[in-house]
Amino acid sequence: MRMRLGDYTASILVTMLSSAFGVLLLQGTSVLTTIISGDDIAQKESVQVALSLVSVIFFAIAVYVGGVVTANTVGTVIAGRTRVIALYRLVGASASSLRRAVAADGLLVGVVGSVLGLAVASILTPVSVSIGVATDAIPSARYDLFPVILAVPVLAVVLVTWLASWVGSRRILEVTPIQAGAAAVEPSREDIASHPVRNAGAFILIGVGVLLLAGGIALGMVNMLGVLVAMLGGILSFTGVVLGAPLFLPAILRSTGRMLGSGPAAKVAAANAVRNPARSTRATIGVVIGVTLVTMFAVASQGYVDMIMKGREAYPADYQGIDETLAVTIGVFAVLFGFSALIAAVGMVNNLSLSVLQRTREIGLLRALGFTRTQIRRMILAESVQMTVAAVGFGLVLGILYGWAGAQSLLGSILGGGFMLPSVPWLVVLGAIVAAAALSTAASIAPSRRATRISPVAALAVE
Amino acid sequence: MKITPTDLGLAARVVHVSKSFGIGQGAVVALSDVSIGIRRGQFTAIMGPSGSGKSTLMHIMAGLDTPTSGEAWLGDTQITALDDTALTRLRRRRIGFVFQSFNLVPTLSARDNILLPFELDGRTPTADEQGWINTLCDTLRITDRLTHRPHELSGGQQQRVAIARALATRPDLVFADEPTGNLDSRTGREVLALLAEACSKFGQSIAMVTHDPVAASYADRVLILADGKVVHELGPSTPEQISGYMLAMDRAS
Repeated sequence: MRMRLGDYTASILVTMLSSAFGVLLLQGTSVLTTIISGDDIAQKESVQVALSLVSVIFFAIAVYVGGVVTANTVGTVIAGRTRVIALYRLVGASASSLRRAVAADGLLVGVVGSVLGLAVASILTPVSVSIGVATDAIPSARYDLFPVILAVPVLAVVLVTWLASWVGSRRILEVTPIQAGAAAVEPSREDIASHPVRNAGAFILIGVGVLLLAGGIALGMVNMLGVLVAMLGGILSFTGVVLGAPLFLPAILRSTGRMLGSGPAAKVAAANAVRNPARSTRATIGVVIGVTLVTMFAVASQGYVDMIMKGREAYPADYQGIDETLAVTIGVFAVLFGFSALIAAVGMVNNLSLSVLQRTREIGLLRALGFTRTQIRRMILAESVQMTVAAVGFGLVLGILYGWAGAQSLLGSILGGGFMLPSVPWLVVLGAIVAAAALSTAASIAPSRRATRISPVAALAVE
Repeated sequence: MKITPTDLGLAARVVHVSKSFGIGQGAVVALSDVSIGIRRGQFTAIMGPSGSGKSTLMHIMAGLDTPTSGEAWLGDTQITALDDTALTRLRRRRIGFVFQSFNLVPTLSARDNILLPFELDGRTPTADEQGWINTLCDTLRITDRLTHRPHELSGGQQQRVAIARALATRPDLVFADEPTGNLDSRTGREVLALLAEACSKFGQSIAMVTHDPVAASYADRVLILADGKVVHELGPSTPEQISGYMLAMDRAS
């Protein structure tokens, strides 16, 4: 079963961003290492190790985010295609062959996006380096911009996209041929609660992830490599959160929704979160990823600065000349920041508009039964508000935890480092929250206008 | 003094209604100068072959579509003059729908589906209304199915839930669009008998669009449409009489 190309535009974009990001990171690290090796810093070696580590970590995070976003998008597309899938099953296609076809599409998306990303980075980096040299921002030197290792991020992105489409398409297995004739049924809360294997998996992932996070922080007190352990812990625990989210997110959404007032639009919106737990969870997870990511990066870079400053206070002699490096690294952090946030934002916007468009028929029925256009829009708006509020609450906690664990496990072992409490740059975080709220609202409202403009008769005729 | 539809004992009527789709030479005329009334407390069937304009007529009477020219009234309200918000409110409070494909919300239990019109209106049923809903559920024999979700119900049960939803707000008029189209003939007859009973027992006005002579035979009155015009009207008739007329019409054309 082939999907429409339009469904993949966003996924190709996400893949392209991840791959370009990986390539740019490697090229950037190579340039930075060359610059630093010309400088005279006592802590040179550990700064270099830290740089390579940071680029590995940020790339792994970007690819992971891209993967989660892709899996989420594939899941949404499949939920909207239940009836078509059921028809294919009805005329004799096996579930596994359909799933393989979706995964094959994912491989194609991965290859196309990844190569595009490589192309973009191959143009961007040499140009920026020439500009940098020409303006004396960076010293003139022999920079190795195309090491063989660039193949690693490109291939990694292809593989992860492939894997993500495979994981995201698991719902195909639950579609029965019977559903070709009936309205598509999303699983109820009870169905989700009675998924023992998946729920146990979620708890185990979270448990192991938290243990690894703690282990990574402990190890980080003596060695920078602790950060790799912590990262693995972060990835595992967040995967667990994504898996287990349908268990608790709908209830959180409903209680946030109840605070939005008692009008019918707000009430229906609050109820929708629980009535379509799978759908509301998919949509919310997209926002959670974005907020977690931005918070995490903000907290991590703040932690990085604080830790270096603390070291300098204790051992001023050893940290001479660190300011310049610090400025460069913070600049790099800001770019990393933007990239991953962009990946998360593309995924979130795409997923939200898809899921509203898939509700054309539901909206048509509500309109026929007496919900006005304004009430429909208010309902969608209320849903996106309750989603943003819940996601921000969630993402803040996770982001602060992960960002702090990252900085602590990476830098706990540096001279004069030690243990530090997390510090949160609230202004950055606040900006992220406002951006997330604006994006998620815009992403839901625009398609809901389209959905309410068609007449209820036409909307009800939509399959 | 102007004579209102209510004075005439009509739940709804259309006056000189025409509807065409598209413009210019390619325009398709779905309805051409149709004037009919739906009598209060009666079960009216609107019959015709496909393409006769019967669905368009129903959509216009129900405020789901607007005519190209002419007026549509629900009781004393001229609905062709209303904007979308007012029309929607009117559908919510004064019109009920029964669809061919049931159109229950799949994620809601049968009970929540029946209560949906109240939820959309932002209120809970009064004690009196709740009593009426209980009576309905008993009559429709779905009381023991109220906690089930639509996919756990048979087609007949789903349509009975849809009928309960349509009747729950005691609307001025219930529109049924091929209500037996997705049901086997025995289940279809049960649903038709229930609709007829809603008229005779509770005085509910119902307008049903169908192309099935057996379905139309349950009605008090049968309006026959062809090529966008009302071509005939029958009182209570047997399926044989109705199909006899339809066949004769087919031969004449």
